[in-house]
Amino acid sequence: MKSVKDTNFDSTEDLRQAGMRLEVIRYLAFAIFALIFVRLWYLQVMNSGVYAERAEQNRTRILPIPARRGTIFDRKGRILATSQPSYNIVLSRKDVKERDFPQIAELLIKNLQDVDRNWLSRRFEVAKYEAKYEYIVVKEGATAADVAWVRSHQFEYPMIRAEEAPQRLYPFGTLAAHALGYVGEVSPEELKRKDGQFNYEKGYELGDIIGKTGVERFYNEILMGKDGERRVLVDSRGRIQRNLETIPPVPGRDLYTTLDLDIQKIAEGQTDSMPSGRGAIVVADPNNGEILAMVSHPVFDPNLFSQRAKTPEGKDEIRDLQTDEDKPLFNRVTQGEFPPGSTWKLLTSVAALNEGVITPTNNRIQDGGIQIGNYFMKSISNYGAPDIVTAISKSADGYYYRLGLKMGVERFEKWVHLFKFGEQTGIDLPGERRGIAPTSATKRNSWSRAIKKAQQALDEAPQNEKAAKEFHLRQTQRQAEWTDYDMASSAFGQGQNASTPIQLLRYTGGLAVGGQMFTPHLLLKSVAGTDRFGNPQPEIFYEDKNKFSVPMSKEIHDIVLKGMWGAVEGGTAGAAKVEGFDVCAKTGTAQVASTDRVGSKNKDHAWLISFAPRDKPELAMVVLTENVGFGGTHSAPRAKPIYEDYYRRTRNLPMEPLAEASPDVAKAGAAKKERKTQ
Amino acid sequence: MFGINRRYLTDFDWPLLGMALLIAAFGVLEISSAQPQNPGIWRRQLIGLAIGLVVLFLVTMFDYRRIVNVAPYLYGVGVVLLGLVFTPLGKTVNGNRNWLDLGGVGFQPSELAKMFTILFLAYYLSGVKKRPLDLRTVITAGLIWVLPTGLVFAQNDTGSALSFVSFLAAMLFLAGARWTWMAAAGVAVVLVIALSVPYIKTCKSYKCERIKAVYWPELADKGKSYQNVQAEIAIGSGGIFGKGIGQSTQGALGFVPEVQNDFIFAVAGEETGFLGCLLVLTLYLLIIVRQTQIARVSRERVGLLLVGGLAALLLYHITVNVGMVVRVLPIMGIPLPLMSAGGTSVIATLFGLGLTIGVRLRRFVN
Repeated sequence: MKSVKDTNFDSTEDLRQAGMRLEVIRYLAFAIFALIFVRLWYLQVMNSGVYAERAEQNRTRILPIPARRGTIFDRKGRILATSQPSYNIVLSRKDVKERDFPQIAELLIKNLQDVDRNWLSRRFEVAKYEAKYEYIVVKEGATAADVAWVRSHQFEYPMIRAEEAPQRLYPFGTLAAHALGYVGEVSPEELKRKDGQFNYEKGYELGDIIGKTGVERFYNEILMGKDGERRVLVDSRGRIQRNLETIPPVPGRDLYTTLDLDIQKIAEGQTDSMPSGRGAIVVADPNNGEILAMVSHPVFDPNLFSQRAKTPEGKDEIRDLQTDEDKPLFNRVTQGEFPPGSTWKLLTSVAALNEGVITPTNNRIQDGGIQIGNYFMKSISNYGAPDIVTAISKSADGYYYRLGLKMGVERFEKWVHLFKFGEQTGIDLPGERRGIAPTSATKRNSWSRAIKKAQQALDEAPQNEKAAKEFHLRQTQRQAEWTDYDMASSAFGQGQNASTPIQLLRYTGGLAVGGQMFTPHLLLKSVAGTDRFGNPQPEIFYEDKNKFSVPMSKEIHDIVLKGMWGAVEGGTAGAAKVEGFDVCAKTGTAQVASTDRVGSKNKDHAWLISFAPRDKPELAMVVLTENVGFGGTHSAPRAKPIYEDYYRRTRNLPMEPLAEASPDVAKAGAAKKERKTQ
Repeated sequence: MFGINRRYLTDFDWPLLGMALLIAAFGVLEISSAQPQNPGIWRRQLIGLAIGLVVLFLVTMFDYRRIVNVAPYLYGVGVVLLGLVFTPLGKTVNGNRNWLDLGGVGFQPSELAKMFTILFLAYYLSGVKKRPLDLRTVITAGLIWVLPTGLVFAQNDTGSALSFVSFLAAMLFLAGARWTWMAAAGVAVVLVIALSVPYIKTCKSYKCERIKAVYWPELADKGKSYQNVQAEIAIGSGGIFGKGIGQSTQGALGFVPEVQNDFIFAVAGEETGFLGCLLVLTLYLLIIVRQTQIARVSRERVGLLLVGGLAALLLYHITVNVGMVVRVLPIMGIPLPLMSAGGTSVIATLFGLGLTIGVRLRRFVN
């Protein structure tokens, strides 16, 4: 092997050449480093914000801490709606790749209880297009075993987590369901609605649980809190390393309703036995409008919406409720519009007395059927020429035909408006209907389209048909006019006339206390706390801004009391009598005009409006039993146990087993004698 | 020849060693940042550094020419070690069969083979007096080179195999290869790359995917560009001043895989930002510049070729490693000298710097 001792450069030229080549390498190094610096400048100086944000998203996850929704109590502090701890099993969206979905689905189906494969795959399908969701909920209302499995496999499957998600619980199930309402996820349409109650501008977000109906919806702002969140640091597999920041949730405020669980329970029992399965009972304190019980039948279980809405069975149940022709989700108390029938005779009486159409001692108005043009209006009753008290207590139809005609439409209308029929009562429930006020304007409006059409036909008609079209227009216009027939039927609560039970309740309360009309309401108070945005809020009581009074002298009020008391003491409402409690009532039997319905649906609606005790009213009540027949037979006996129970409870009398309210019981009672009248 | 005397101490290139140690210390700090749960890694790195320093000082004590004289034997040892990788003694790490396990001590023989091949090429080329180099010399050099390179290539370690190209080209160039030949070789490389573009775009092998992830990310399999993307985020999120030492999230929380090895620069960039990167890269550049100066002052061929080859190798390592971390070059298994965790690389790099310092110490001998 040769040695390298002799390796000196042969000439200076050789050395110069090598030095130059070394310089080439040196400059190559400079060039490369310059390029790297340019790239670093681009990454770290020009675009560092973008990368910083991506790094932040990489390393942090936001875990929601659900806010507790306020509890709803009855007036005595008994829980009507509360939140129970529950867990959802969720998949952290950032920590799974779409291609792993099928594998994860298998894992979940194998290890969680009752996970529906189809439901899960739909859920994943949706999640693919909803990248903004932090989580995919893969199971709601997880069992203890589910949660245990997830927790024990946190290290292997950090992307699967058990997340707290309190569920709304209504401990009494269907009890007061229409008043309380139910909760559910806010819908995307609702969020986008410009002047909606739950839109983005008001700070609502997708996934928020809001009240959908009832008090839950009306007082959502009070009940709902603001979810908090926990920002955590995770490693590259999504395993939580430590807490970065915790924003505590703002709990919702508790709310006391005016409902009285005891009365509500009895009232529910009375609607349960309604023969048609449809009806309503609503009870209030006439001295302030506080609603003590509200039942609409058929009922539904609000727990279904908060706890089972996403299970296949729950979905079927909800669909059944929505398509049921008895409309169980519909609150008959505020949304049902029915002809008020004879309950309106009191309005006519108060109006006539005030307007001087009749005096308390005057007997000059005749009962009995009446011929109006070509119609003969039958009257089942004929008490000759009764005084007004008798006319009320015996519900003398013929008397009211004539009283109405005597009074005339202007004066009648004036009192319809004074009692504010045809307007919302302003009850604190969403979706209240207005009813239909029997006025000439109402009649005209109902014909306005037909008139418009006739007018159009006239305008477009060729010359030779003008005369005929004009005649038709005149005839249509004439049909829109208020007639004697309209007057006579409106005076006793028929005709173009519809009221909601809540309107009749306010009216009943006004009659009970002598004209003071309070707005029916369900809010007693909300406890002090903070609103959704964290601002402190004091205790809030219901403030009746819409109360008004109807002019009613002591004398007139006495007549009302006597008439209604008489209806119970030997009149049409005898079945409502409670010994010692002086119940005053008025029956009503609303004729169901339509003839195209078959079977039980063309039977009359049975009303009873009542209050008690006569001289110092504590309760006002409206009972409606749909499509069963006479009010005195069907609704009066349902009011009785409610009064009876209340009376015994508040007077500390021994409770007796209550007589089952049924039409048979009623028939055996006072109603039997008075069957011919309403 | 042992020669620790006054002159050894005053002539010793302390600044060069100082810069190298500064980089190495920074590397240890960043390794501990990248693997906070795993202090064993940076401790092992310290041990590697200590051994490397011993090697460095030993190397400076010998006359480098004596070392070059035994280069053929060292080269032989290197080739044998590379061959052993294919025996049961070899180990596969991260898809590359480039580890050797000798009695519990694992190392990458390719790192040693690079050094020994540089030494052998210096030995051979320094003896050639003809200027410019004739074809026979170039072919002979190529044959010396091709044996270890082929073995490394067969280990599926493309990055390391390409590093052999860097010092071969540099040493032939410094030994006096014709400019035209160098230019022709450069053109040939560019042509080969250009012609392979359509193939790479359609090919699905992991090597092609790594290339596509950088130049045609829209064609790349998203899953395979994860490391690139995360490293880019790490560097970029550091900003100008960085998140601070020990504040890495991209690296420390495992978003950048294998971060303490080939991607240590990503953590450095995340924690110390643009300024930190600028500083450490300037140190590297100064080392390379220093090497070219030492090569110049050695005034004889062996020293010049040896240090020139070492400088080229160092430049290649830094370029390829930082280039892949900042996503301008595809991922290749190339460590960042002195900073990446890994004893073999650190020892080999310090061995190379020892040779450099040795050449400088003996620049007046002739």
